[in-house]
Amino acid sequence: MTPEREQELLKALADGVVNFEEEAVVATVNTALEEGIDPHKAVFDGLVVGMQECGRLYEEQEYFVPELLMCADAMYAGLGILRPLLKGDESKSRVKGQVVMGVVQGDVHDIGKNIVKMMFDAAGFTVHDLGRDVPLENFVEEQLKTESEIVALSAMMTTTMVGMKDIIKQIKEKNPKAKIMIGGAPVTEEIANKWGADGYAPNASNALQDAINMVASLKDI
Amino acid sequence: MASLFQGQQMTGLERTAAALSRQKPDRVPVCTLFNGASRRVLGVDYPKWSTDAEECAESFIQAQKIIGDDCLTLLIDLSVECADWGQEVVYPVNSTAYTQTYNPVIKGRDDYYKIERINPRETPRMSMVLKVIDILSKRIGKEVAICAFIYGPLGVLSQLRGHEQVFMDCLKHPEAVMHAEDVIADVLCDYAKAMAEAGAHALMQDTLYASQSIMRKKMWEKIEAPYAKKVMDTMRSTGLPVLLHNCGNGIYFDAQQKWLDPVGISHAYPADDCKNWEEHAAKWGNQIVTVGYLTPSELALAYTYEDTLEAARKCIETFKDCNGGFILAPGCEYPPNGTVLNAMAIVEAAKTYGVYK
Repeated sequence: MTPEREQELLKALADGVVNFEEEAVVATVNTALEEGIDPHKAVFDGLVVGMQECGRLYEEQEYFVPELLMCADAMYAGLGILRPLLKGDESKSRVKGQVVMGVVQGDVHDIGKNIVKMMFDAAGFTVHDLGRDVPLENFVEEQLKTESEIVALSAMMTTTMVGMKDIIKQIKEKNPKAKIMIGGAPVTEEIANKWGADGYAPNASNALQDAINMVASLKDI
Repeated sequence: MASLFQGQQMTGLERTAAALSRQKPDRVPVCTLFNGASRRVLGVDYPKWSTDAEECAESFIQAQKIIGDDCLTLLIDLSVECADWGQEVVYPVNSTAYTQTYNPVIKGRDDYYKIERINPRETPRMSMVLKVIDILSKRIGKEVAICAFIYGPLGVLSQLRGHEQVFMDCLKHPEAVMHAEDVIADVLCDYAKAMAEAGAHALMQDTLYASQSIMRKKMWEKIEAPYAKKVMDTMRSTGLPVLLHNCGNGIYFDAQQKWLDPVGISHAYPADDCKNWEEHAAKWGNQIVTVGYLTPSELALAYTYEDTLEAARKCIETFKDCNGGFILAPGCEYPPNGTVLNAMAIVEAAKTYGVYK
């Protein structure tokens, strides 16, 4: 494959994500693989570049939740084909860090968590997504098991967000170095500080930037 | 020096009505939105409170006696309307009811066309709310304002389809979404009329998605505004004041004023065209009555009584130049697990700092 052709395919992948053309992304991935593209390049220099552009458009309020969800569908459609083809070592070298993520017990509102997950995926984090209505102890166990640098907790209700306080306490007891960020509609910076969280994310972009800073600070240590 | 009785000459109903019509009341009226939390005053579990009209109404009445609200806004939960279309709802013992989105009524594009008209006077949950209004109206309606609450057409649809799916369908299948909204809006119009007949003093529609938190303004104007307008026009035809609730961030005041023309909006954040509350009060405070803007989770989980007094004082101060057009309230429902003391502090703040000279 010529460098020009490779660039053409990578751009088509990125554009397919930005324009939320799920079918076009799948077709381009298949074509690119047939033509011998490196799957890592297809992911990190194609799909992820597209998703990062979506994140930028979201931050600048060009895109909103519906567009972002559609972009994510397009990206995950491509990732579904490419992920099994990625070789361990090179993938690891591209990974920024690991994050355990989920919506706390009693709460099924996961749209915000899913958007944050997508941003983290696109930024090169390994995301351990526990889903929604997650028992509190699962966060603690998953952090220890995966040795993730970050735990991101989401809640949409005041009745469920109180569970975050216990999770923060338990994780800090087991692994004081783990960084914990919390978010969701009822969460405020004041409450995050009061409960001992390391970060508060008013939106997905902010969550990602905070996480990158946290991982950097851990590496400095 | 102000008389001890200054700020106590009007009933809650008169005070609320005056604020909504900008005829400066004796003091700032209060609506603590102490809804799900009221069940703890009576000692009933959440499922009972959500489904039993007598228990629900009695909870509101007893909580109002303790707290001293001028206005009650009857938001039970956001699954009331969709439940009557057959949506599965989960009723936790100690938390707000929610829809089981693993099993939505609308599973794909074609299902939008299967949504049919129902009669809210006969279906279980909407008729229960009508009964609550009826009881409250008869028991405390001469003193306390009763504001009935309806989730808007797209909100109801999001409960029947699941939020993520409905948002994507707004791009993929807008015609199907709008078809279903049209049917839902007709039912909500009947519901609004029944609420007025049951004795509500004001009607409120929730248009959560008209905010930067969710979708672009143009999309909201295309997808929900025409159907929310249909509901709003019907609400207005009853002769009652009509309001909106929208606890999203950066809400579209201009678009909602253009399409829905509410007298007031219950909101948690400033409008999308204002940087802060001061700017909001200056730009919108004399056009649309703000019902707000205390932060619910902080009331429940962070503030002391004194913190609440101070936060409420700031809200009153922000809207002091709006000719009485302000109602002190949390930006959304008072947390069901929140302390009753802070709700009482909100009323005390209105009495202490909110007397109009």
